[in-house]
Amino acid sequence: MADQARFEEMTREYMPALYSHALRLTRNPADAEDLVQETYLRAYRAFPNYQEAGALRAWLFRIATNAYITMYRAKQRRPDERDLDGMEEWALHGAIGGLEAAAAARTAEAEAIDAMPDEDVKRALEDLPDVFRQAVLLRDVEGFSYQEIADITEVPIGTVMSRLHRGRRKLEEALSDLAVERGLVPTKEPAGA
Amino acid sequence: MDCYEIREQLYAYLDGETTVWRRRAVARHLEGCPPCLEGYTLKVTVRRVVAQRCQDPLPADLESRISALLAAEAAD
Ligand SMILES: [Zn+2]
Repeated sequence: MADQARFEEMTREYMPALYSHALRLTRNPADAEDLVQETYLRAYRAFPNYQEAGALRAWLFRIATNAYITMYRAKQRRPDERDLDGMEEWALHGAIGGLEAAAAARTAEAEAIDAMPDEDVKRALEDLPDVFRQAVLLRDVEGFSYQEIADITEVPIGTVMSRLHRGRRKLEEALSDLAVERGLVPTKEPAGA
Repeated sequence: MDCYEIREQLYAYLDGETTVWRRRAVARHLEGCPPCLEGYTLKVTVRRVVAQRCQDPLPADLESRISALLAAEAAD
């Protein structure tokens, strides 16, 4: 059996992120706590065989993803992923800089979304179909690379990209619609993609 | 690349997961195309909002409950 103290010391720092992730996936605190407990139990059992030095966080998220699938498989909503094939190869490249910072030309829509309360943002995310939500959370909240997300969710990188694309687009639409609904922007502008 | 093609590339560009050639082409296009830049700005905003607003406090006793769970597992 693994050394419990050493295991806890190494994995403790990831617990808040795993809990937030679990809460977005399960949409309620009791289930999220169950999922985090199950994740830590599975990780602890597998820890003696853990060899991916430096990839502990990704390893824990993969265990959490698998635990989520087994615990909540029946509830899963499957999006249509028929047209996922044939995506080209993408060369990985470092972080972007320049234009993101320079994108100061903010639209009224973007400003309204920026000002939305946390609960609106969380609800819009939680309304996304399961696999889209997972991809968006792993990328935008946790900052994993496409390759890491492919490893965590055990799907090809093209599938990751497609899920991210659709998930983000749906999220943009939902938040834009909400901004209009709340009267935060005068009229609905095209989302730009 | 035209506007349609550029917009298909924006997420990969946003994520820094694109080829050097594409990256340059997108950057150049955004500089000269306000509608695409607006679309890009919206994507940047949504990503930032998602990144910032989804932190939830850890329930106070979860860590100790997990500790107890692992101790029980170790004792088996
Ligand atoms: Zn354009």
